[in-house]
Amino acid sequence: MAAFEYRQAEEIRDAFNRHGCRYLFIGKSGAILLGFPDTTQDADLFVEKSPENGRSLVAALREIGFVFSGAVAAEIERGKDFVQLKNGPFDLDLIFAPDGIERFSDAWERRVEVEGFTVCSLDDIIASKLASHRQKDLESLPRLESFRVYWRGKGK
Amino acid sequence: MVDAPVKIPQEWLEEFEAAAQRTLEQRMKYAFIKTYKPVLDDEPVRLFDTMEDYRRWCEENLPDWLGYGRV
Repeated sequence: MAAFEYRQAEEIRDAFNRHGCRYLFIGKSGAILLGFPDTTQDADLFVEKSPENGRSLVAALREIGFVFSGAVAAEIERGKDFVQLKNGPFDLDLIFAPDGIERFSDAWERRVEVEGFTVCSLDDIIASKLASHRQKDLESLPRLESFRVYWRGKGK
Repeated sequence: MVDAPVKIPQEWLEEFEAAAQRTLEQRMKYAFIKTYKPVLDDEPVRLFDTMEDYRRWCEENLPDWLGYGRV
């Protein structure tokens, strides 16, 4: 499996838009879309948890090349908090209830759009990392908080 | 109490400025890497009902050095 590429992010954007699936890039992958220079292995999507959005999600992922059994597709549609996919053209984490963010609709209101990609605000990305209490997330916080200061200074 | 303002280290500031000159495609090319992560990469699909289930699974199954444990 190769690293996640810009072309694949475009495939997500375009397929999700075609199917009307509401999503936000989150985590370090979201920060990178906003201009944060760092490295990561994962593409993370915060997906709205609803039966309709779940069906759109599964259809979009199948179109991109992810392969699901009917049972797995049904489970995703029914609603999980976290799904880890390594069965497609790239690795993808689907997060339906990220720590530190109360509701998808709130994060959607605060979203940032970059070249048509819908991305969580830096405040939400930082809040979710802070609330996760994970070692790897806490280690990335000082640099992310510095980037937020820089980003705001640019009038973003 | 008011938080002290964050002072951006000079080295990071230079990196932020350099990144701002790059296209998104270039930024992504430099940012996304792929290395094998033991256990984590060994199943095609994992589903968790709750984030707590996921966090606990990470702590019980992944090597500490991957950094997925809570502190």
